[in-house]
Amino acid sequence: MGSKAAAKRKSVKKKAAAKEESAAATKFVKEWSTWAMKKAKVITHYGFIPLVIIIGMNSDPKPSIAQLLSPV
Amino acid sequence: MATLIPPSPATETTSPASPAAAEQQKVDYLNMPCPVPYEEIHREAMMSLKPEIFEGLRFDFLKGLNQKFSLSHSVMMGPTEVPQAPELVKIPTAHYEFGANYIDPKLMLFGRVMTDGRVNARLKCDLTENLTLKGTAQLAHEPHMSHGVFHFDYKGSDYRAQLQLGNGALVGASYIQSVTPHLSLGGEVFWAGQHRKSGIGYAARYNTEKMVATAQVASTGMVALGYVQKVSEKVSLASDLMYNYMSRDVTASFGYDCILRQCRLRGKIDSNGVVSSFLEERLSMGLNFLLSAEIDHRKKDYKFGFGLTVGE
Repeated sequence: MGSKAAAKRKSVKKKAAAKEESAAATKFVKEWSTWAMKKAKVITHYGFIPLVIIIGMNSDPKPSIAQLLSPV
Repeated sequence: MATLIPPSPATETTSPASPAAAEQQKVDYLNMPCPVPYEEIHREAMMSLKPEIFEGLRFDFLKGLNQKFSLSHSVMMGPTEVPQAPELVKIPTAHYEFGANYIDPKLMLFGRVMTDGRVNARLKCDLTENLTLKGTAQLAHEPHMSHGVFHFDYKGSDYRAQLQLGNGALVGASYIQSVTPHLSLGGEVFWAGQHRKSGIGYAARYNTEKMVATAQVASTGMVALGYVQKVSEKVSLASDLMYNYMSRDVTASFGYDCILRQCRLRGKIDSNGVVSSFLEERLSMGLNFLLSAEIDHRKKDYKFGFGLTVGE
């Protein structure tokens, strides 16, 4: 009876450890995806308009920098 | 951009041009035209009844560098409304907005940045012939004020399906199908994780050459009905009923849309006591003059605006 109780305690501990592991894994994925989303937001915020300008300046016929900066 | 778009219902009909032959032809249920996208189901009514009314001065300068790429500079000066209890407070603001657009048949990029650092970005990309990726985002420097949505659209021969993914765990899907050459039915479902809300909605659209009738119901409590009739080549009349069965709020509006050679005039009157009007006049090639007026008799709120748009 003592060994049965010990075996039960061991299996409960194993389940708890497995749960903890999967919880830690999901936490890790969540934190990593939140970090990625934050970086993506900052990159889009600062980089979208320069990206459009770069794509536009490389389309044909190629406009010149003077045309880009002049107000007319 | 003040392009004058005639509000004719857009059906890519496959039946022949002559009306007599069209009457005699049996309806081919396997060869239906492609319906309008689900979010544009009220397109004609929106175009006629909801022009961009603004208050103050608006000056837009659009400079094209080549066929596909253009820059825009906008100055806007006027009061903006800040909802501060107990009433709406108007604070005079002025801002400058710089924008860059790249328009290609396969890729469209649209970006606008304001002096306070807010960026408004739109992207539309044709991944394959039938699959389109669209994205829009409003980004701000404050921590939780930005949001963005991506849409994946699939266009079939007589149906369209769309999947939406947005921040705040927003997931949505919509589907619209042409049932007869004139009638299309559709439905949508969405789930917003952050606000713990979900909803389902249905819509129907019936259009002929001369009129468009639409109806939309949603589980968020909205019932919207619209009817647009093209009275002549230049004039169309539109009416709209919006009913919220949760908050028992009803609004009916009736408006007109006149497209003449040099100008486009839109006006509407509302059941909330709001009369509004919007004029876009083409003074010469590339020069457009805008006048906007909105008078709210119930709240005694008067908004008048004028503007100039230079460039196509």
